[in-house]
Amino acid sequence: MIHFDQVSKTFAASQRPAVDRITLHVKQGNICVFVGPSGCGKTTILRMINRLVTPDGGTITIDGRSIMQMDPPALRRTIGYVIQQVGLLPHRTIAQNIALVPELLKWPRDKTEKRVLELIEMMGLDPSEVGHKYPHQLSGGQAQRVGVARALAADPPIMLMDEPFAAVDPIVRLRLQDEFLRLQQTVQKTICFVTHDINEAIKLGDYLVVLKEGRLVQTGTPIEILTQPEDDFVLSLLGDDRGVKILDLTRAETLMEPFENRLGPIKSNGHRVQSIDPVKIALEMMMQKNTDEILVCKGTRPVGILRWPAIKTHVNRISGGTV
Amino acid sequence: MNFAGFICDNTGLVLEYTANHVSLVIGVLLLSLALWITTGLLISRHARLAGAVIGLGNVVFCIPSISLFGLFMSVPGLGLGRRTATVVLVLYAMMPLIRSVHAGIRSVDAAVVNAGKGMGMTNLQLLLKIQVPMAWPAVFAGIRVTVVLITGIATMATFIGERNLGRLIHQGITRGDADMIVAGALIVSLIALLLDYLMGRVERIIISPGLRYQSLEPYRGSA
Amino acid sequence: MNFDMDLFSQALLQRAPGHIAEHLQLVIIPLVLAILIAMPAGILLTRPAYRHHGRRVMSVFNAGQTIPPLAVIALFFPLLGLGYGPAILALTIYALLPIARNTVAAISAVPAEVKDAARGMGMTPKEILFRVELPLSVPTIMSGVKTAAILTVSTAVLAALVGGKGMGAIIFAGINFFRFELVLAGTIYIGLMAIVLERALSLLEGLLTPAHLKNRHGAHRRAA
Repeated sequence: MIHFDQVSKTFAASQRPAVDRITLHVKQGNICVFVGPSGCGKTTILRMINRLVTPDGGTITIDGRSIMQMDPPALRRTIGYVIQQVGLLPHRTIAQNIALVPELLKWPRDKTEKRVLELIEMMGLDPSEVGHKYPHQLSGGQAQRVGVARALAADPPIMLMDEPFAAVDPIVRLRLQDEFLRLQQTVQKTICFVTHDINEAIKLGDYLVVLKEGRLVQTGTPIEILTQPEDDFVLSLLGDDRGVKILDLTRAETLMEPFENRLGPIKSNGHRVQSIDPVKIALEMMMQKNTDEILVCKGTRPVGILRWPAIKTHVNRISGGTV
Repeated sequence: MNFAGFICDNTGLVLEYTANHVSLVIGVLLLSLALWITTGLLISRHARLAGAVIGLGNVVFCIPSISLFGLFMSVPGLGLGRRTATVVLVLYAMMPLIRSVHAGIRSVDAAVVNAGKGMGMTNLQLLLKIQVPMAWPAVFAGIRVTVVLITGIATMATFIGERNLGRLIHQGITRGDADMIVAGALIVSLIALLLDYLMGRVERIIISPGLRYQSLEPYRGSA
Repeated sequence: MNFDMDLFSQALLQRAPGHIAEHLQLVIIPLVLAILIAMPAGILLTRPAYRHHGRRVMSVFNAGQTIPPLAVIALFFPLLGLGYGPAILALTIYALLPIARNTVAAISAVPAEVKDAARGMGMTPKEILFRVELPLSVPTIMSGVKTAAILTVSTAVLAALVGGKGMGAIIFAGINFFRFELVLAGTIYIGLMAIVLERALSLLEGLLTPAHLKNRHGAHRRAA
C-alpha cells in the first residue's frame, strides 16, 4: 500500500540526516508503528507521507503511484491526520471540526451531517451533548477522540497518527488504545502510527519499525522484535520486562502440553484459560490460585494443560536466563 | 531639504529646546514611576478598585493632549509653563503604567504564589519576593511605552509656553519652514529611541534572564 | 479661574457642533484607508515568502510610533500644503501602525498545531488564511482598529494647525485666547465621538467574532 524506497531527508539547520535511506513497506489494513527515541526521525517519516515534509532523496509511493505526482492538498484530503496536540480549530464546534474535510471535498450537506453524527457515535460520544460544544470545553480524552473522528470523516484509506495518545493521562491512554484497536477492527484502515512508548507500540502494532538517529534498526511483528532483538539498542528499548511482554504476546496453546486424543477423565483443579489467551493471563491465574498448572480449552473442550516449568523454560530460552 | 543646516545655524536654540525637552520628560518619568507604580501595587489586590482606576486612566488617555493642557492651564497655581506640562504628562503616564503593573501582577502564575504561601510567606513577602520580580518584565514593557509616549506628547506643551522641541515644529508650520519641522521631529524621535534603548539596557540588567519578555508584543494602546 | 457660562454654552451649543462633521471626516476617511492598507500588509507580512521581513518591517513600524503626532501632521504640510489633504494623509499613516501591528501579532499567535492540523487535512494556504487564521485573529485585529480609531479622534485635533479644520479649531482658539470654556466644549465632543466610535466598533466586532472567542475574550487577548 505505502512503499518507501531509499527515502532521505536532511533539514537545513542540521548536519545529520533526519531520515537516512529508509526502505520499507506498509501493508494494507495494517497498523505500522514507528518507534524510537526523540530525534529518531519517526515524525519526519510520517509527515513525508502527506507531504508536510518533502523528502530530498528516494521515493514514496501509495498504491504504486509516487506521491510527488499528486497535488499536496488533494493528497492530504485522502489521508487522515491525527497529532498529539489534536489541533482542533478553536473557533469551530466539534461537529464543524469533524465536517471539515467533507466540506473541503464539497460533500452535499446532508451527507456530511449524517457522517458527523455517525462518527461522534462511533467515538462513544453523545452527538446531542458534544456536537455543539467548542474544543476548549472538552476533556483531553474527548478532544483526542474528536481528533480521530475528524481524521476519519472522509473515510480515507490511510491514517497518519503522530503520538495521538501521548498528551492524556495513563488511564485515559489505555482506554483510548483499547477503543482504537476496536475501531480498527471495523474500519480496517492502513495506519502509520508514531510513538516513543514501546509498550504502546507492542500493544497496537501489527508491524513495528524501530528507528534510531534517522536509520532503520529493525522491522518485524512485535513478537519477532521481542524474541529476536537485533542489537543492544533494541534490547534496551524493549526494557527489562521483555520476558513479561513476550508472555503477553504468546498464546497459551503454544506452550501447553496437548492432550493427544486422550480420553477419559481429566484431572483438573477447575482453573482454565482459552487457547488463544496470552500466557501472561495463565501466569497471573497461577499466582492468584497458588497452582502450577492450568487447563487450556477451546470453547468448552479441554485441549491441553499449561505448566509453570514450560513457561519458565520458554522465557529463559528467549531472554537469556533472566527469569 | 536641509534640516542639518538648520541645526548648525541654530545650535544654541536647538540645544536649549533639547535640554528643556529631556529635562521635562525625565522629571515626568521619575514622578510617574514613583506615583503610578506605587498606586498600581496598592490596587493590585482589589479587583474592583483596580478596574475603576484603570478605567479612569483610559478616559484620560482618550482626551486629546492639547485639551488637557488647555484645561489645566486654567487651574489656579498651574498656569502657563512647566507645572501644567508636568501635571498633564504625569496624568498621561497613568494609563500605561498602572495597566502594566496590574497586568504584570495578575500574570504571575497562581501556582507560584501558592508555593510561596505554602512556604510560609506573608502577604508583603509574597508581593516583594514573588509578584514584583515576576511582574517586572510586563512593568518594564509599560515603562518603555510610557517613555516614548511622553517624549512625543511633550511637544504639545509648546502651546502652553514650554520652550522645547515642539516649538521647532509649531514655528516650522507657522513659517512654512520644512527644515525646521524635520529638525524638530527628528530630534524628538531620536530622544524617544535613545530613552527606549537605555531603558532596554536597564531592563537587561534588572530582569532575571528566566523571565525575558518578547519585545514584539501586540500593540494594545487604549483599547 | 472664572467660568464664563455664556461663553461655554455658546461654544458648546453653537460653535462646536459645526465642527462635528468635519472632525468625523478627519477620523473616518483615514481609518478606512488605514484598514484597507494595514490589514492586507499585515497579512502579507505573515505569509511564508515575506515572513522573514516581518521583524524588520515591524521595527520600522515601532520606530514610526516614536514620531510625535504633531510631527507627523507637520511633516506632510511642506509637501502638500494647507488643508484636508496633508491632514488626512498624516492621520492615515498614524492609524496604520496599530492595525498592522495587531494583524501581524494576531496571525502569528495562531497556534502552530492548529495550522499544522489544517494543512495535514488538505487545506490550501488560502483556505487556512480565510477559515483558520483570520477568524481566530478577529479580536486582536479589532482591538488594533479600536486603538487606531481612538488615537485618530484625538490626533485629528492637530489637523486644525495645518488648516484641516475639525474640532481642533475651537480647542486651539481656546488655548490661544486663554479661554478654558472653548477647550472644554471642544473636548466634550471629542470624548463623545470617541465613545460612540468605540461602541460602534465593538458592535462590529461582536458580529465578526466566532462565538467561542466571545466567551473567553479575556483569555484569548492575554494569550495573544
